[in-house]
Amino acid sequence: MLDTIPAAARTVPPGRRLSRAAPIVVAALAAAALWIAPTFLDTFAVNVLTRSMIYAMLAVTVDLLWGFAGILTFGQAAFFGVGAYATAMILGTYGATPLGIAAGIATAVAAPALLGLAVGWLSFYHRSTPLYASVISLVVPIVVTQLIYSGGEWTGSSSGLVGFDVLPFEIEGYFRLAALALIAVTLAAWILVRSDAGRALVALRDNEARCAYLGLNPRRLQIRLTAALAAVAGLAGFLFANASGVVAPENAGFLFGTELVIWVALGGRGTLLGPVLGTIAIDYLAANLSGDLPFLWQLLLGTAFVAIIILLPGGLADLAGRLWRALPLGRTEPAAPALVAREAEAQAAPTDAPILKVRGLAKAYGSLTVLEGIDLEIRAGELVSLVGPNGAGKTTLMRCLSDGSEPFTGAIAIGGTAIAGLTPNRIVGLGVGRKFQVASVFESLSVADCLRLARAPHDGLNPVGQDPVLGLPQAALDVLRMTGLDRPLTQPARLLSHGQKQALELAMVVALEPRLILLDEPTAGLTKAERTTIGTVLKALTAGRRIAAVLVEHDLDFVREISSRIVVLHQGRLVLDGTVDAVVGSELVRTIYSGGAHG
Amino acid sequence: MLLTLDILTTAAILFVVSIGLLAIFGVLKIINFAHGAWLTVGAYCAVVTARLGLNPWAALPLAFVVGAALGGLAEHFIIRPLYRRPLDAILATWGLGIVLGQLITLAFGRDVQLTPNLYAGTVAVLGVEYSAYRLVALGIALVIGILFALTIERTRLGLSARAVIMNETLARSLGIDTGRVRLVVFMIGAGLAALAGVLLTPLTSVDPNMGVSWLIGAFMLVMVADASFLALAAACLVFGAAQVLISTFVSPILGSIAVAVLAALVLRVSPKGFSRA
Repeated sequence: MLDTIPAAARTVPPGRRLSRAAPIVVAALAAAALWIAPTFLDTFAVNVLTRSMIYAMLAVTVDLLWGFAGILTFGQAAFFGVGAYATAMILGTYGATPLGIAAGIATAVAAPALLGLAVGWLSFYHRSTPLYASVISLVVPIVVTQLIYSGGEWTGSSSGLVGFDVLPFEIEGYFRLAALALIAVTLAAWILVRSDAGRALVALRDNEARCAYLGLNPRRLQIRLTAALAAVAGLAGFLFANASGVVAPENAGFLFGTELVIWVALGGRGTLLGPVLGTIAIDYLAANLSGDLPFLWQLLLGTAFVAIIILLPGGLADLAGRLWRALPLGRTEPAAPALVAREAEAQAAPTDAPILKVRGLAKAYGSLTVLEGIDLEIRAGELVSLVGPNGAGKTTLMRCLSDGSEPFTGAIAIGGTAIAGLTPNRIVGLGVGRKFQVASVFESLSVADCLRLARAPHDGLNPVGQDPVLGLPQAALDVLRMTGLDRPLTQPARLLSHGQKQALELAMVVALEPRLILLDEPTAGLTKAERTTIGTVLKALTAGRRIAAVLVEHDLDFVREISSRIVVLHQGRLVLDGTVDAVVGSELVRTIYSGGAHG
Repeated sequence: MLLTLDILTTAAILFVVSIGLLAIFGVLKIINFAHGAWLTVGAYCAVVTARLGLNPWAALPLAFVVGAALGGLAEHFIIRPLYRRPLDAILATWGLGIVLGQLITLAFGRDVQLTPNLYAGTVAVLGVEYSAYRLVALGIALVIGILFALTIERTRLGLSARAVIMNETLARSLGIDTGRVRLVVFMIGAGLAALAGVLLTPLTSVDPNMGVSWLIGAFMLVMVADASFLALAAACLVFGAAQVLISTFVSPILGSIAVAVLAALVLRVSPKGFSRA
């Protein structure tokens, strides 16, 4: 499958191998330092820091959800509380026997994970908003807390549970256990966010719609992430219940959930190390200061939080990062992956059956009819231009073709499969690629990462590292080469010019190896030279590679040059469908387009 | 009969508590998580009024003025820079709530404060002895609702506010000073929240964290109402009824989370909440 990749491209250059090992070395050093730390620290510090490090594990999960995947959550406290209570209840019943401990860990991880699945299902659905997910994350800890209150002897109600058996450790033992767990969780998160799969989290935050139109299922990713991180929070709860020997309703509460978010924000969202260090520093300071100046401490923390959110959204880690990058040592150039061609997937034998078949399509917004009685068939290798004045329903038609959850009447079939009710990612799976009118890419990802995500449904994503090669279909490589995008591969997409973004999106859509490609004004706002390039690319795709294309376009000269067929929409109806010459020469088109004024 | 009265007055109290949050969410598209702190500020205005030996009802105008003034400052220094980052605005206003709560604690201590009852005693309604104050609160809720509706429908500010709700960019290009509309609406919303704080004093204990317990309920009601105050009234009635019925017949603890859970489920099924009807 990957036989076109030269062997040399697979070997990792020595510099990169070193940087890949660096986090593991740092983690090992940190583990060693924390292992001997209890011998120097007094009992109070050991106790407090044990708790701080457990909280820091939670901060890592909040950072992954909020800082990377863009899901502002207050719900991690609830999962933590469920884990802690499960541990206390099981150890209280069965004692700290090997079996009891195993059952405790298993439940402390499984129960929050199941709850996480339920919460994820509730929070994320097609067209759910980020605000709604935050709302649910607020409700969950409140519900869990109230259930704890109403749990009677089971949960100890408002006084919580104490006096259950715990792991047979001294306080130094708990300190080391918490330290190792924290380092393990942080290292795993670090490896994940720097891997190709970690880019998918950022892609979700940047542009959920684009993810769906690349055939990724945003909903499933978000639900899995929620469940997995709920399990991690539950594990932290297990450690907390053992180390402190007491669990209380506050551990699961909404207020604790907001505190976690405050720590992450102050430390620096999206940096992992920032939240970890921030949480430990703030919780340790709080334990030392809040005895002497309880109100003043909260006041200072609250003020700092407001100031950081407004003035320094990246938190203290952002500040530190800027200083670091100012040093010559801190500047490292990211390495670009090697571009290689991969063989096209075995296509079904070309048939003459239409790829797209539309029968009697109609769509209305309330009483306003936008589309009516549309019949259309498109076959492989055709490049069909959809023209018509503003408001003719062109973009609405494109939307109906690519999103089956749009309410419409009539029938649309892609390759024989009806798409009514299917979400965009399922339709992409049928072989449809859609390019939007306004270039829709992942602004904070590099060009190479954007392209890699486009290949994710086919090739998967590496969860532990960055693949040194990026295999793309020849057609996508052609797009990149013709538009010069094969050079700035490591550049973040937000720094690209308007035309380059359009080309990048086109390359991403082509990389999906679609059978049908939908393009909404791909040349809008481009220079003459860029238009010519895009035109050449489109012709090569359709005539050379037998892809079918539907193109919405206003520039009639451009349309005339590249189309194999033209369809004219006017006031929601399909008024003409014919060859280029027939349509361009038609009196009707002149009347529609120029109101008859310019002949 | 008792149940009906409980439902009506509970809905009225929920309405009074949420209306300020709704005004701000509708126009600014921002969730004011400091809402609970404004309720607390209002309640402490009642405490101050009592210490000064004034008529307890004088706390209402005082709370409105103090709440609106603080709201103006908050809008200028905290909300305005975060207009394009709505999720961050939630966090910043939550932080502001912490700051306000701690300032109140520093000034008044963290103990529960006693306030004089605004309207004591009970009245007989159709054969049931009922708290007179809860009925007064019902009347006040109706008055606030009607005044709010008149402001929205009949005044220039209301017209501008509706324009901003529908299409802020267009409103600005038509020459409406949207920045001023946001400021004024935020001040009114904050003032109403403080007013609600005074009205809560006979029903709940006054302490620096009293607002937080009301915040989530109000927030969920506003999410379901989605910037329509008629929908808010409907949501208060439905969820207030659910809260009273569940508290009475099942368990008070479950009743206390009824609003939040039901609202979340309604939003899951119909993302526009009650405003579609």
